[in-house]
Parts: sequence; structure tokens; C-alpha cells
Amino acid sequence: MIALELKNLSKSFGELKAVDDASFTVPEGSIFGLLGRNGAGKTTTIRMMMNIIMPDSGEIKFRGIEAGPEFNSKVGYLPEERGLYKKMKVLDTLLFFAEIKGKKGKKIRKLAKEYLEKFELTDRMNSKIEDLSKGNQQKVQFISTLLHDPEILILDELFSGLDPINTNLMKDVILDLKTKGKIILFSTHVMSFAEKMCDHIAIIDHGKIKLNGAMNEIKAERSRLNVSLNYDGDISFLQNHPIIKSISNYGNSVGIKVNEEKDIQTLLKLLVDNKIVVKKFDANDISLEEIFIDLVGKEDTEVKHV
Amino acid sequence: MFNYRVKALIKRELQEKLLSKAFVLMTLLLPVFMIGIVGVQTLLMNIPSEGNTIEIITYSDTLESKLKDIILEESFVKDSSLIPTIKTLSENDFEKYLDEKENDLLSGQLNGIIFIPKSALKDKKIKYYSKTPKNFRLLEKIDNPINQVLMEQYFSSKNIPMEELEYARKWVDITSFKISEDEDVKEAGYGGLILSYLFSFLLYLSLLMMGSMVMQAVIQEKSNRIVEVLLSSVTSKELMTGKIFGAAITGVLQMSIWLIPVILVASTTWFMIPQEAMIDVTFLQIAYLLFNFFLGLLIFVGLFTMVGSIFENPQDAQSGMWPIMMLVMIPFFISMSMIENPDNPVANIASMAPFSAIIVMPAKMAMVDVSIWKVILSTLVNIATVFAIFPIAGKIFRVGIMSSGRKPKWSEVVKWLKYKY
Repeated sequence: MIALELKNLSKSFGELKAVDDASFTVPEGSIFGLLGRNGAGKTTTIRMMMNIIMPDSGEIKFRGIEAGPEFNSKVGYLPEERGLYKKMKVLDTLLFFAEIKGKKGKKIRKLAKEYLEKFELTDRMNSKIEDLSKGNQQKVQFISTLLHDPEILILDELFSGLDPINTNLMKDVILDLKTKGKIILFSTHVMSFAEKMCDHIAIIDHGKIKLNGAMNEIKAERSRLNVSLNYDGDISFLQNHPIIKSISNYGNSVGIKVNEEKDIQTLLKLLVDNKIVVKKFDANDISLEEIFIDLVGKEDTEVKHV
Repeated sequence: MFNYRVKALIKRELQEKLLSKAFVLMTLLLPVFMIGIVGVQTLLMNIPSEGNTIEIITYSDTLESKLKDIILEESFVKDSSLIPTIKTLSENDFEKYLDEKENDLLSGQLNGIIFIPKSALKDKKIKYYSKTPKNFRLLEKIDNPINQVLMEQYFSSKNIPMEELEYARKWVDITSFKISEDEDVKEAGYGGLILSYLFSFLLYLSLLMMGSMVMQAVIQEKSNRIVEVLLSSVTSKELMTGKIFGAAITGVLQMSIWLIPVILVASTTWFMIPQEAMIDVTFLQIAYLLFNFFLGLLIFVGLFTMVGSIFENPQDAQSGMWPIMMLVMIPFFISMSMIENPDNPVANIASMAPFSAIIVMPAKMAMVDVSIWKVILSTLVNIATVFAIFPIAGKIFRVGIMSSGRKPKWSEVVKWLKYKY
């Protein structure tokens, strides 16, 4: 069932078309990744959802409600550029942000303290924001997006600037929220996170939505006749080989498309015969990064001499 | 307009402002500071110019003895702030004498020489020689006694009885009465004048202070990006309303604290104030003053908030600030001009015009009786100004607060008004 729907959304800043007729849907209960390079239009799209920027045209609906104050009160929003009142105390900050979402009282205070404990900030409860480390400030900001018990979390570049331990902490919280039936939408340009966490994605490039759907379907559709390969050695002999349709270099791995199902076995034999050290050979598999670069990074998809 | 979001914003603004050290200090120190300034000024003006030695040279012995009789009795001679030496010399001898004394005058040993020539009996023209000839305080002291002596000398040959002379010598003594519609005619003191001066000054200071404080806060929220978090929960209109009302309430509270002494002076007999400096205000007037101030804060803090939203750092904001500062300063100067003549036509217009009415009307009311319909009309003008400003400020705020990067041109800001929001 669709929870959030964006229809034909457009926004220009002067000559620049930041978002160009973008449409995608986010199903109930999903962890949704809005993927794109820097400047692809992710943040603009999210700001339009939050009613911070008005779209030139198009509409946004969440369970039948249009974008606006009512929708906003159901959202926990973490903007890409984080900001808190520097002179305000941690607990006061959390309570203030809950209050402008319409939640206050003892319950919220108790919940705030619980979250602070979970994020190991109990002893900083009465510290001023400016006295916290950057990582801790991020945690406070993250708690402030959760405290009012939103139905949907919109997190712009959630993992930017987080250390691995805090990244894991956030991941756990997000997965926990998913089990409670919350919808989580986050934007990122880091494909490895998205691959591990998302069940639905949309890929945006130059303001246009290139792809939208369930991760497993997208992968199934694109992974046929694809071999994801990690290796040591020289595979230039594969160039212009009759079984090969294309070779794409993604840096970490190489994606090789073959013409027929039986060619996959032939390819493996060819590699072994040519004394290539095969580290990973995934048949009928494709990484999100490969899909992403195929769609977005045109300049990288040319077959290169490898 | 005042939903839970705006209330939460106002609450935060009040918490932040009222509990800040700056607020407490400013509220307590400003009265001390003002009394200090007035005190220092009065003190400086009354410092006896120690040992001003002057010589008064007359053309005749009779004049000399008469001068001595009068001048040596003056208080400024008795407290030795002025030490006069009175001599007689003919006009020819005086020229020479002046040459001799030149060095004394230049070195400051002697502050000045006054010469009363014979012709003074006809045209009352006397001469003053000094290194600093424009010492009005000194001349002000000495001119009256000399005038008196010359007059006596002139009339002594004309057989005029002493009483007549006494009458001629007397200055006009003006006692002012304030005419008001509902009360008896009363002798008017300086109270109204002091009050008017005080209100104008406090209004002026407070409007600029609160305005620039809010402007700084807006710039800061914008530059540290908190505004985006806020805008995901509240609309820009709510945010602006919260900020402006937060500041306005703080300002009124501060003003009330400042006015407590005035209210006490006016309504109690706890203070020994000379009758002529008595302040005549009613609670209704105080209530009007505070309400008027509240409207003023809404208008000017609104404008400052708008300017703050356009710019990303305080330096750039300077260029947007001065037109608003002018809107506060010009009315302030008009108020000050009323001390000369409370009924001047510029002040009459300014007390009814948008923006200036906020500052000029209360100052005017403290000095002259303004009919009630004029007060109501000017208040309506102010309320209309608030309603005219809010949508404009709101639109600019909406776009400005989210714009970043280079400093926008004014032509661009005007275009923001046409944006579809």
C-alpha cells in the first residue's frame, strides 16, 4: 500500500531545473532510499515534501493529506545541514522541538530521558548544545526528530559525518522503528548503506527520477546475465570476446554482462584458464552501486580497457 | 494565529531573552546609566570655573564705585568663581594699558578685560578683550550688573524717582499655566517636559535595541541552519510571528520595569520632588504608552526581522538596517524639536503619520493636551501599519530565510514579493 506519493513535482531556481517532473511512491512500512549524486535534487525534493520550498508544480500526498502543517506534524525531519540552538540545554532543546510538534508534558519528558540514555547522553542532559562534541550534537538532533513519535522519518544524508559506532546505533534505531510500523525515508549518495538497509528506492539524477521500486525486484530484473566480479590480473582478453555483451568497471568491482545463460560458465572457465585470480564471482547478481552507476554515471559506463 | 506552535515559539523566545544576562543587565543598568548621564551633565555645567580673573575698566570714578557696590555683592564674586578688578582709565590710557596687559591675557593669567567707554551711556556698547572671547557663561554673569549700573547712571541725571527706576530695571517674570479640557487651570512645571524627553529616549532606545537584537537572532538562526529544522515543524509565518511577539512582550515588560519609578512618582508621595518638576500622568496614560510601545515593537521588530532574513551575516545586514534606523531616528528628532515648540506643524503631521506616530504622539501628549480622537486616530494608523507590514515582511521572510549564498540585490528582494507562496 502506498503511503507517500509524489506526482509530477517540478522546481526551478532561475535557469536551473532542480527537480524535473519527478514522481515516485513510498509504500507503507518501508525503508526507502532516495539515491542520487550531490546536486541531483534530493534535498530540494525533500524540502518540498516538508513544505519548506514550494514546488512550481506537482503534488505531494501522505495518506491522503497534502504537504503542509498537518503532514509536517507527523514527520520527524533531519535536514542535511544540521542546526540546534547553541545556547540551549540538551533536554530543553528536545522538549522544545517536541512542543512545536504539539507534544509536551511528563510523558515526553520521560521519553526524552529514555532516548538520552539509549544514546549515552544522560550525563549531558543539562549541558549547553555548544559544549557537546559534533557527534553528540548529531545524536541530540536525531533524538529530536524521533521524540514526538512521528509516523514517517525523513532523514536527509543521515549518515554523513557519523563515526562507525554511531552509524550502527542509528541503524539499529531505524530498524527498530521499522518493526514499529514507521516509514523511514532517507537520502544518501552512499550506496553501501542503501543496499543494506533499503527495501525500496528511487534514483534521482539531474532532477529526474530514473528508477523507483522495490529493491529485490529492481535487482532481479537487472542481475540476469550479469556477473559481479572481483579479481586480480589482466582481463583485457575479454574485450570483443563473442560471449561478452559489455564490461563495466565500477572501481571496487567489474560488472560483466554476457549474452546467454550458459556463457556464465564459459566466462568462469575463461578466467581460470587465463590465470586470473578470482576473488568474488557472483552470477546473476548486481550491486546497487552497479545499478546506480549504470543509470547515473554515463561517463563511467563506457567499456574501458581493463 | 496563536496556535500551539506559535505559543511554543514565543515561550522559547521569552525564556531565552528574559533569562539572559544581557536583559537583566540592560534593564537594571539603563536607568542608572541615564541618571548618570544627566547627573554628569548637570555637574559639568555647574562646575565653578575656578578663578576667572577679569578686569573691568570704566571711564569714570562714579561708575567704578557703583559697579563695585553691585558686582561685589553678586554670588559669583562671593564664591570666587569670578574675581573682578574694577578700575578707572581714560580712553587714551586704556589703549596703552591693553598693550601692557597683552602678555597676561595670552598667558591666561588674566581671563579678560571689559572696557566701558563713555559712549556706552548712549548706545550701551561695551568691549570685551580676551583670548577666548566667546565665554558666554562669564559674560552672562557680568552683563546684567553692568546694564544696571549704566541704567542708573543714565537716569540719575534725568530726575526720575527711584521706584520708577526699580520698575524699569525689573525683568519680566513668566509663570506658565497649562490649559486642559477637564481640569482646572494649573501652573505647569517641567514635569511634562522631562517626561516627554524621557519617553522619547526610552522608546527610541528600546525600539532600536529590541529590533537589532531580533535581527541578530534571525541572522544567526539562518546561518547556523536551525531555521530549516524549525520550518519542518512551523510555517515561516508562525516562526516570524513567534519571534516578533516574543520580542514585543519582552520589550513591554522591560519598559514597564523602567516606568515603575515614573508611576511611583506620579501616584505616591514617597518621593520629595519639587512642585515644578511634578509629573502628571494617569494610569490610563501609562497603559496607552505601553500599548503604543507594543505596537511600535510589532512594527519595527517586524521590519528588523525582515531585514535579518535577507542577509546571512551582520555586516551585510548593515545596508538593510539604515532605512529602518532612519524611521526611528527622524521621529525621535522631531520629538526633540517639540521641546522648543510642542505645536510645530512637522510634529503635528508626524504624530499622525505611519511609523513616526509611534514615537512622536506620546512625546506630544506629555507636553500638550491632545484631543482624544487624535490619539485614537494615531493608534488606528499604527494598527493599520502593523497589518500592512506583516504580509510584506512575511513574504520576504519566507523566501529570505531559506536563501543562502551570495548577498541578494534589492531588486531581487522586490521580486520575492511576487513569488507564489
